[in-house]
Amino acid sequence: MPDEYTSLVEALKALSQEDGQLTVRLPMAESEWNTRPDTVSYGIVRLDFEVDALRGDDRKQATAYEGSVHLFSLKRDGAGWVELITGTLTAHCDACWSLNHHTYERETGLFHWEWVFQVEG
Amino acid sequence: MAFTIQVQGLNELIRAMDKAPKNAEKVAAKALYEGAGVMADAVSQAVHGIATEPFKFARGGQTRKPSPEEKALVASAKHGVAKFRKSGTGVNTSVGLQNSGYGQLGGKTKPIPQIANAINSGTSFMQQQPFMRKAFSQNKGAAEAAIEAGIHKYEDELELG
Repeated sequence: MPDEYTSLVEALKALSQEDGQLTVRLPMAESEWNTRPDTVSYGIVRLDFEVDALRGDDRKQATAYEGSVHLFSLKRDGAGWVELITGTLTAHCDACWSLNHHTYERETGLFHWEWVFQVEG
Repeated sequence: MAFTIQVQGLNELIRAMDKAPKNAEKVAAKALYEGAGVMADAVSQAVHGIATEPFKFARGGQTRKPSPEEKALVASAKHGVAKFRKSGTGVNTSVGLQNSGYGQLGGKTKPIPQIANAINSGTSFMQQQPFMRKAFSQNKGAAEAAIEAGIHKYEDELELG
């Protein structure tokens, strides 16, 4: 697991402990910390795939990963989590993330944000 | 207070601009098409890699994979390189599933780009499979190389003024 990704996860985990309303599901990291609460908002952090690798001496020297942070909220403004997540991402790296997707799910009444980030592992 | 600005070499610059290839945009579009083709092929491949499972309602916070019917709709939809657009002095295009129409799913008519988006970005009830984003991110280098090769391939067609 890349160090930078772990630190991002830790940062988001800290967010969830701050309020208790956001639980982050981690399908590739800490599977036990993975329950979806019946609350206003919840989030998912995923490390999606390897983007590129720098090779040298017949092996990978550095690898770039792409991941995503998802926020689902019944509140249009994300109940304050939008600012917290984007602030965490900016503190982590200023220009390595972007808001990729923002929709309203009519079936569930949830607003969905998807931020995409790239980290070096 | 009056002052004077003197630009040196302006006449040379104007003469150089006159020599700029008159059909540069056409050549750029041909080269861009080579790169866009790489992306379109990557997206087509990625669509076939979408994992499916028989349709079920996702309840109680569970998520589901797309159904084979949903995947078939996305796979059969028109996807490829969009019409080229002028952008300043250059041209640009996009690759994806825009304007790919509607499909019948469970007796309902649904826009195919919406289904593709649900798979690509996930929803609260569908597992995310970022097939489109993966195709773009992993093939950016190959597309750039194809555009560069395209410029070299068509540079003989440049008509110098």
